[in-house]
Amino acid sequence: MTSPTASVHRVATSIPEPTGGLQRFLHRQAWTTGVAVLMVLLVLWRTSQVPHFGDFEIRTITAGAMSLAFLAMAQALVVISGGIDLSVGAMLVFTNCLSALWMDGKGLGECIGIAVAVVAIAIAMSSLIGVIITVSGVPDIIVTLAASFTISGLALVVLKSPGGGASLDFQKLVAGGLNDYWPSLLWTVGTLALVWLPLRRTRLGLAIYAVGSNRGASFLAGVNVARTRVLAYSLGGLFAGLAGIITTAYTGGGEPRASIGANATLNSVAAVVLGGVALTGGVGGLAGPVMAAVCLSLIPAIMLGRGWDPSYAETWRGVIIIAVVLVGGLVQTRRRAT
Amino acid sequence: MTTPLLQTRGLARAFGPVIALRSVDLTVAPGQVHALLGANGAGKSTVVKILTGVLRADAGSIAVHGEEVTLSRPADAQARGLAPVFQDPAMAPDLTVVQNLRLTGVDVAEVHRVLADMDLDGLDLTEQVRDVPLPFLRMLDLARALARDPQLLLLDEITAALPPDLSERVFGLMRRWKEQNRSVLFISHRLAEVREHCDMCTVLRDGRDVDSFVPAQGGEAQIVSTMLGEAAAGVREEARGRAREGSRPVVLEARNLAAGRNLRDVSFTVAAGEVLGLVALEGQGQDLLFDVLSGNRHSDSGELVIEGRAVRADHPFDVIRHGVVLVPSDRLQALLPQRSVRENIAAPLFNRVARWGPINGREERRRVHDAVSRLSIDTRAGSQVRRLSGGNQQKVTIARWLAPGLRVMLLFDPTRGIDVGTKHQVYDLIRSLADDGAAILMFTSELREVALVCDRAAVLHNGTIVAELPPDAGESALLRAAHGLETVG
Repeated sequence: MTSPTASVHRVATSIPEPTGGLQRFLHRQAWTTGVAVLMVLLVLWRTSQVPHFGDFEIRTITAGAMSLAFLAMAQALVVISGGIDLSVGAMLVFTNCLSALWMDGKGLGECIGIAVAVVAIAIAMSSLIGVIITVSGVPDIIVTLAASFTISGLALVVLKSPGGGASLDFQKLVAGGLNDYWPSLLWTVGTLALVWLPLRRTRLGLAIYAVGSNRGASFLAGVNVARTRVLAYSLGGLFAGLAGIITTAYTGGGEPRASIGANATLNSVAAVVLGGVALTGGVGGLAGPVMAAVCLSLIPAIMLGRGWDPSYAETWRGVIIIAVVLVGGLVQTRRRAT
Repeated sequence: MTTPLLQTRGLARAFGPVIALRSVDLTVAPGQVHALLGANGAGKSTVVKILTGVLRADAGSIAVHGEEVTLSRPADAQARGLAPVFQDPAMAPDLTVVQNLRLTGVDVAEVHRVLADMDLDGLDLTEQVRDVPLPFLRMLDLARALARDPQLLLLDEITAALPPDLSERVFGLMRRWKEQNRSVLFISHRLAEVREHCDMCTVLRDGRDVDSFVPAQGGEAQIVSTMLGEAAAGVREEARGRAREGSRPVVLEARNLAAGRNLRDVSFTVAAGEVLGLVALEGQGQDLLFDVLSGNRHSDSGELVIEGRAVRADHPFDVIRHGVVLVPSDRLQALLPQRSVRENIAAPLFNRVARWGPINGREERRRVHDAVSRLSIDTRAGSQVRRLSGGNQQKVTIARWLAPGLRVMLLFDPTRGIDVGTKHQVYDLIRSLADDGAAILMFTSELREVALVCDRAAVLHNGTIVAELPPDAGESALLRAAHGLETVG
């Protein structure tokens, strides 16, 4: 046996080498880059299918993916903070119905006011869900699942059957005319650039990541964990409410079926996972899920273009999600091991 | 006399039926480096948690500069000028260091200045926390605490994960800090550090402060004897363990095992019929050692030899196959708490009794019955194991290995949280297993158990075995060895 203290005093500890710029970028943004590549490939595939790829086709992609993109942002925020919100889809349906009911027959100005009010209601409801979760200590998944039933029910109370409407000007302002892709593109990219990027740099933005990354360490560091989690749900409510307004503008009416909400929730989780947000929290961003939402909504169109039976679209979505997450996971474990 | 910077009166805290703190008075003067000492379970970490706002005291008061304060959140403590550096760095792993600093509103330029002060300005703060090695994370955590310009710095085992040269920088910083009339509350298991760098120390035992004195005057001997108190001089129960005569076959042998950061080089042997006690302070590598021995983790180097054959374990099953079984410290982690005693005991049997078909009920019942009657487990509350008392739960964790048969049992602090009467039943059980020829390695945080149960004691310090002592070596010799001090013959 060696003498007790011999091994201790040898090493002079050297400061670790900083990692280089490109390596660090790949290290941190690998997943987002991968999703961007996948999105570009799918868009190119889609362009190759139609004889003339013009404004109408672009608008179909951008406006068609828009509501799922916003719903994915809502889900991503909550998941990054270490939770999960199974009520985002129901919230989309509810805000869709409420705004369609109120906007029916109104002018542009009134519609904008109604949109703000409806989004505020969504924020208030999601904040309440967040408060219930943090105060009661009941897991997120249970509270939000229960909330999704309640909110789906409310949507049916508001709008008994498909109907309602919105001013055409408002629809054009949000989703663009049939050949105008700019509004949908600008709203989505603008939200990412003007809301998310600045938010990410604030104390709140950092706290959302920190709380999702390690709740205990964040608490010890003096972060107000409960408030941060509630605010993550509030922000989720903001984006879910916007997704509902976008649905009203895109479809020109309200559709209260609960199955739409349930399906939308599952799609939002799929987009979040595909977009590189870890379900364990603390990892990822909003750009990845948005691009993943575009990918997910392109799949049925591409299948239709190939002449394949679009009934298999869901199956292929599943296959793609599993394949991407599997490959991404393998790449990450390999990186850790080295 | 000046107003003390920090003064606590009668701090008390219980966790359910377990009383962690009975009454702690602690006074830290301005410009003082004050050590808080105590054996495992004396209440040090509870005091730290209360002073940092992580836990609230059930009773007692805390005064900062003579003014009584309520600390209900870590942010409250920070606002009062109490800045902690915890054992686990309080940083979110997925954020960069700079983001972590901004998160808590710390001035990044100030952190840079503090780091430069410690000769660490080469550290890249835009690195993600998960990529920064642990010793540097602790230094960054320290720099963050200092950047808040606190009155009192609470350092909880900061040197435990630091190499000596970084520790030296911490001590240098503490000296400069003191000159500015600021104070440090220093918690460390390394008594040499305490003697050299602390002006005053307060020793806790069983949740009370028992003495405060200048460590340099009393020396390590006084510290150790105060930590142990009457236990050292008090009644000695009949020692069951005795050094065995003659040679028995070695069943379990560790050859230069190393794993992770904390387990450097561990070698020992355990013979059939022998109980080897393992003694260590917290965080000396015992967790890693048991993980490696039980097949839960690969060793980085070294060999695990079972009955003369080197075993490469990828999975706990690989060592269980060789008859090496683990009884972990957290019983509910090992058991199926919602299931019955019978199912719990039978669980390890499933891969034997059942073969491929349905489980052979009669065979299972017979074996379970044998184990239950042998251990006199009280099965009245047997429909759900979680309803049993801690002692009976512990018996079930041991009993489930009796039926399939075992050659080596690894026990990690088997009597933690068990009442005294049942403790003795567990000791009897361990002895009788050894008498039946099992080789037993038992880590214990209660030094008296060495004399009560073990045939030999090995002392683990800093990831290596520093001493092997006979069971009657005495608690102060064990404690000295565990602190890495020279053992007196």
